[in-house]
Amino acid sequence: MPESLIILLAGIFLPLFPMSMVFNAIVDYSKPAWLRAFLLVTWPLIGLFILLNINVTLPDWLLPLALFTSILYALRILTLREVNQWSGFLATSLWSLLWLPVMQDTTAVLLYSYALSMSVPLILLVLLSTGLEQRFGAAYIGLYGGLARTIPRFAGVLVIVVVAAIATPVFPTFFIMLHLVVETLAAKPFAAMVLLLIWLLWSWAGARLIQGLIVGRASDVKIPDMDISTIGFYSMVLLALVFGGIYLSGVIL
Amino acid sequence: MVAVLPLISALIIQLFAGSVGRSIARVSVAATTLSFLLAALLLWWALTGHGPQTLPLGNATAILLFDPLSTLLATIILGISLIVHLYSVRYMAEEAAYGQFFVLLDLMTAALLFMVIAGDLITLLIAWYLVGVLLYFLLGQDTRSQTAYRFAFWTLITYRIGDLPLILAAALLYDAYGTWSLTTIFTEIMADPEAHQVLGLPLTEVVASLIALAAFARSAQFLLHTWLPYTMDGPTPVSALMHAGIVNAGGFLINRFAPVFVHSGDVLHGVFIVGLITAVFGSLLMLTQNDIKKALGYSTMGQMGFMIMECGIGAFSLAIYHLFAHGVFKGTMFLSAGGVINDSRKDDGIPKDELYTFAVEKRPHKERQPWLLMASITLAVPLVILVFAHLLIAEDYFQKQGAIILLFFGWVTGAQLIFATYRMRTQNIWRLVGLSVLSLVVVVLGYAVISHAFDLFLYPDPAFRVQLYSAATIDLLSFNVLVVIVTLIVVSGWIVTYYADQNVFRRRQQTQRLWLNFYALISREFYVSDIYTRLTRMLLAISGRLNVWLRWL
Repeated sequence: MPESLIILLAGIFLPLFPMSMVFNAIVDYSKPAWLRAFLLVTWPLIGLFILLNINVTLPDWLLPLALFTSILYALRILTLREVNQWSGFLATSLWSLLWLPVMQDTTAVLLYSYALSMSVPLILLVLLSTGLEQRFGAAYIGLYGGLARTIPRFAGVLVIVVVAAIATPVFPTFFIMLHLVVETLAAKPFAAMVLLLIWLLWSWAGARLIQGLIVGRASDVKIPDMDISTIGFYSMVLLALVFGGIYLSGVIL
Repeated sequence: MVAVLPLISALIIQLFAGSVGRSIARVSVAATTLSFLLAALLLWWALTGHGPQTLPLGNATAILLFDPLSTLLATIILGISLIVHLYSVRYMAEEAAYGQFFVLLDLMTAALLFMVIAGDLITLLIAWYLVGVLLYFLLGQDTRSQTAYRFAFWTLITYRIGDLPLILAAALLYDAYGTWSLTTIFTEIMADPEAHQVLGLPLTEVVASLIALAAFARSAQFLLHTWLPYTMDGPTPVSALMHAGIVNAGGFLINRFAPVFVHSGDVLHGVFIVGLITAVFGSLLMLTQNDIKKALGYSTMGQMGFMIMECGIGAFSLAIYHLFAHGVFKGTMFLSAGGVINDSRKDDGIPKDELYTFAVEKRPHKERQPWLLMASITLAVPLVILVFAHLLIAEDYFQKQGAIILLFFGWVTGAQLIFATYRMRTQNIWRLVGLSVLSLVVVVLGYAVISHAFDLFLYPDPAFRVQLYSAATIDLLSFNVLVVIVTLIVVSGWIVTYYADQNVFRRRQQTQRLWLNFYALISREFYVSDIYTRLTRMLLAISGRLNVWLRWL
């Protein structure tokens, strides 16, 4: 198989613009939560598997394209309102950065753990968006608001999941981003600056999502909040992410 | 344990708030009290002459550093936090998310503590970043208020912008020295400051500039200040904590990286200029606000300007004293505001004395003392202080630029007081002038003594103290020329104001228009937030248009 075709194929799974639109179209058409979650787990792993198992020389232009893809989607998230689409765009922005460690000859185990660390908070977000759809008919930012007053437990979990997704300490993505900045700064200072800008845009988008969903007056209609066992599930996964982040920091920093 | 206790408290409240109810706040207060006592013990230990100690956490990367700076600041943070906790127990009683508030308060206390006792760059980065995130949620405690969240977002995004240079600085230091440990990095820098370069520039200069930028964002320096006056929708205890503690973090950061700033070339001069601009603009905007809360916000901005300016003249330890004094002052102001408003509803409490007649009713005394005599006093007092300082403290006092600048500001303030009050209705004008001069002398001498005490504690090495001041020094001729120019500007300003006040000459139409334009500029707060709002809308419009063009895929 020609190298350009392999890169093209990998560019679909580790999204590079415009191939990144394929993933977002599939996410858009996949309605069941389990399918979206499955896509979020497997998609970057397939990309990494292709790159790690087929001997291919990666051209230099891939780095600017990966950064462009990431910043493009980070910028576009700012005006997204549909939570599933939001997760898909953030996933695109995050996964396109996996090209950087791939080009730096990072070990396969680390690459797979990077991909999973990026995907897990987004899977939780997709599950939460299903919860919103069940309660309100749509998972839409700015449509109803007031979740902190209407369903406070659900809102609390949602906030922590978003915070985990946008690379906040002490979740793994924070350490991954820090590692990427350290690794690129000396050789490619401009790339490091772009990484920081992308990081800033994620924070901005996360804050807009939180504000659009949790702020506002309580709903007049009684809506069931998240039950204790579900909170337990989310807490366990988030706690695992925290410990994973701390462990990862010891390995990569 | 000092930093871990608030974390444990947060966890207990999160787990048991539902079943225990509002009395769970006692856990938070108890944990903060215990933590405060431990911090005070550590401070005492540092005061008794024990050197800095490091404590590795788990793996070797995370290190806690207990030195004079960290123990002093930990005690201050916990002292302020304890007062805020005690105040909040009743003040927040009506809040629906009462338990959540204490969880956030404890997490914030822990983040601030980890920030000051961090002995490595990663712990510092994590704590620095988390302070911004937690402040966002504390300011947005009232989840019904869109306004509160809007301005909390301004804070978050400014803080995140400020995080970026700190991350860059940390990455550069790690890349150069191969370690995250602050003490190791500082030791190597002190041994050979010019060992590394970045893009052809000395590493220390680049890192110091980045650290200064991070400090500017955190301490609301001009152009990165817009969040501060607007974040008044948060609960009063949060405002107190923010104005008394969090906003001072810039001063801490510059002090923490003092060994870098010592070898930073002209960076400290830049720090001084930014601080000066912030102090002037903050004070100017404070004086022209109609909204008392915004005026308080701008007052903090002005004070932060002074704090950063003190760092810029090499008076690093004085900035720490300023941070402490301002924290106590502003914290008290915020926490007592509610009580004052409540009391004033029953009785306005305004004394019909000469101060009220003069300052509020604008009725100055018809007879006044000779203005020239008053002006002579304002010029003579600082000269006398300078001569005494030369004779009693140090012979080279005239050459200590930092001291001269501080004295200069003391002089401007004191003279302004005399200038403003010499026409006040009072039975004994000489008593008033005498008290004004005395207060100036006490402030200047008090500052000098306290600054010296803080210097001895925070930077016990005399050679390092000399290095700090000399890093901020400019050549004597330029300094003297600057002092003369600024003095002339200030004195001319007074003369113009005096003559305008006396209606000696009529203001021309054009001058009046200029004055109105200037007032409009100030009342719009120099259009800084308007420009930022416009830029934000542009960026969001670009984002939306891209989504439409790319069919939301």
